[in-house]
Amino acid sequence: MSAADSRVRLEDREGRARLCLEGNWRVTSLPAIDAALDGLKPARRVEALDGAGLEALDTAGALALLRFVQSTGADPVETPRENFSARHRRILEVVAASLERVVAGTETRRPGVFAGIGRHATEIAGLLLGHLSYLGLTAAGLWHLLLNPRRLRVKELAAQFEQVGINAVPVVALVTFLIGVVFAYLLGLQAEKYGASIFVVDGVGLGMAREFSPIIVAVIVAGRSGAAFTAQLGTMRLTEETDAIRVLGLSPMDVLVIPRLLALMVALPLLVFVGNIMGNFGAMFMADTMLGITPTTYVERLQTAVRARHYVVGLVKAPVFAFFISIIAIRMGMTVSRDTRSIGINTTSTVVQSIVSVILLDAVFAVVFQKLGI
Amino acid sequence: MAAADSILEVEGVVTRFGDQTVHDGVSFTLKRGELVALIGGSGTGKSVLLREIVGLQRPTAGAIRLLGTDIWSASAAELAAVRRRFGMMFQDGALFSSLDVAHNVATPIIEQMDLEPDVLWPLVHLRIALAQLPPEAGAKMPSELSGGMRKRAAIARALALEPEIIFLDEPGSGLDPITARAFDKLMRFLVDDLGITVFVVTHDLDTLLTVTDRVIVLAKGKVLADGAVEEIMGVSDPWVQQYFSIRTMVGGGANNSHGT
Repeated sequence: MSAADSRVRLEDREGRARLCLEGNWRVTSLPAIDAALDGLKPARRVEALDGAGLEALDTAGALALLRFVQSTGADPVETPRENFSARHRRILEVVAASLERVVAGTETRRPGVFAGIGRHATEIAGLLLGHLSYLGLTAAGLWHLLLNPRRLRVKELAAQFEQVGINAVPVVALVTFLIGVVFAYLLGLQAEKYGASIFVVDGVGLGMAREFSPIIVAVIVAGRSGAAFTAQLGTMRLTEETDAIRVLGLSPMDVLVIPRLLALMVALPLLVFVGNIMGNFGAMFMADTMLGITPTTYVERLQTAVRARHYVVGLVKAPVFAFFISIIAIRMGMTVSRDTRSIGINTTSTVVQSIVSVILLDAVFAVVFQKLGI
Repeated sequence: MAAADSILEVEGVVTRFGDQTVHDGVSFTLKRGELVALIGGSGTGKSVLLREIVGLQRPTAGAIRLLGTDIWSASAAELAAVRRRFGMMFQDGALFSSLDVAHNVATPIIEQMDLEPDVLWPLVHLRIALAQLPPEAGAKMPSELSGGMRKRAAIARALALEPEIIFLDEPGSGLDPITARAFDKLMRFLVDDLGITVFVVTHDLDTLLTVTDRVIVLAKGKVLADGAVEEIMGVSDPWVQQYFSIRTMVGGGANNSHGT
């Protein structure tokens, strides 16, 4: 672009201050325009504008000009404009018309620290209250289903079960196997010192059954299926599929929510069971190579060390974890707002919320079981 | 070099996707200070052509000269220089969803220029005002805006660096007729008062009939007609005739009801 200079002169003609503009007054030359105008300050009140030497003027240049005129104490709208071309005159008029609101414009502020904390607090409170009401809604949905079991969508349930259960077996098996290996190694290091190597079996068996398998599998499922629920349902909301379901006389609760919820509640205990077995296999492998405990000895010891109730404790927690993971994931999916960014935000939030809630619930279980002496 | 007053030259553009030919030698020229509409049936590649003009999609053959630069043979630096001189409004606005409207509008200015805050923000608010948005819209997030306001905000952002030409992809789609008419006025304002050239892809008959200077019809991969809307209506092509007959039907119906 031809970079003609942006020049301005303040002339005194018959006692009147006259601002003469020359050259290129476009957005690209704003820094030069500002420098030129600053050079005139402090200026006396401008009483006329002369655009005879003006080559180009756009709204950005006009804005700079009118703000300068205003700063000298003159009225930017009323100050006479002379020798302007029709086009430039029109641009000045357009800018003058919205000058008042524009000059008052500042950077839109992000809320401050305290406002931010306050807003987050109310958001979290709102979120939890919403979860609570959704919990009630889902409970009512389950109750209706119980009264009228034929409303259960078996096909959808099976499809979801395949997704969240069967397809998750490899990753669950691998992770719990490795945890078993690591756990046995860690216990073995200590137990070996006291010649109590065999107690590694007790430690791993109990730990896996009661805590590690349920927690680890729940965390994997929260990251895997929880995120998937939110993303799927969020996308369906964005494309108005959920609304279409409602308009067609179907209930999103029956079609979308219940199958996912039930599938996860059935799948998670089964996955925890897989985790138990694989964890013990991992430990068995480590005990054999590190401590010289043969698999036969391991299994024998496991039978005496870990009672059935310990497995039950782990398996009882699993559906509860699953219930909370699904409620959170489904609600976060259903409350996606109508913009693409929101899906990502809600999916992240689902994973965080469900992992935290799993740990929290586990602590509650620990306290309850301790009081009950289980 | 192009004639001084032509701002965009499309020359023999051919576009093929696989064995499907979308454009088979499309040519036209835009002059400065015009409001030109591009129309055509679904699948005639209007949006594809727009994407080729602004440098988002490479045509199979042909040349596009925008503001004197051949878009598809220009160096990165030349292309960047041209990009500062045109604005584009996408169909759904394509606002950055993590920024409020004012920061959306400010983004191109901040990227290209180093302005003091007391110069920058009034300029941003001037853009918001020129797009005829209310002052409080600046602090809103894109997700809080209605469809029409989102499009206005997108225009404000396209205006940020005071472009010489602005491309609008279906500004009237998804808007009620009243809002769409206000948009027509806004387009006219950009052309008449700010001296910006406007190239608009549209389906809106009212837009065509009331505010455009020229209409280009795209059909069967070629420019079927190019001229003032009255001329276009006289073109003896079934598609064009059908396109405008809807208008005649509506008009006739209204007259009849007045007669009885």
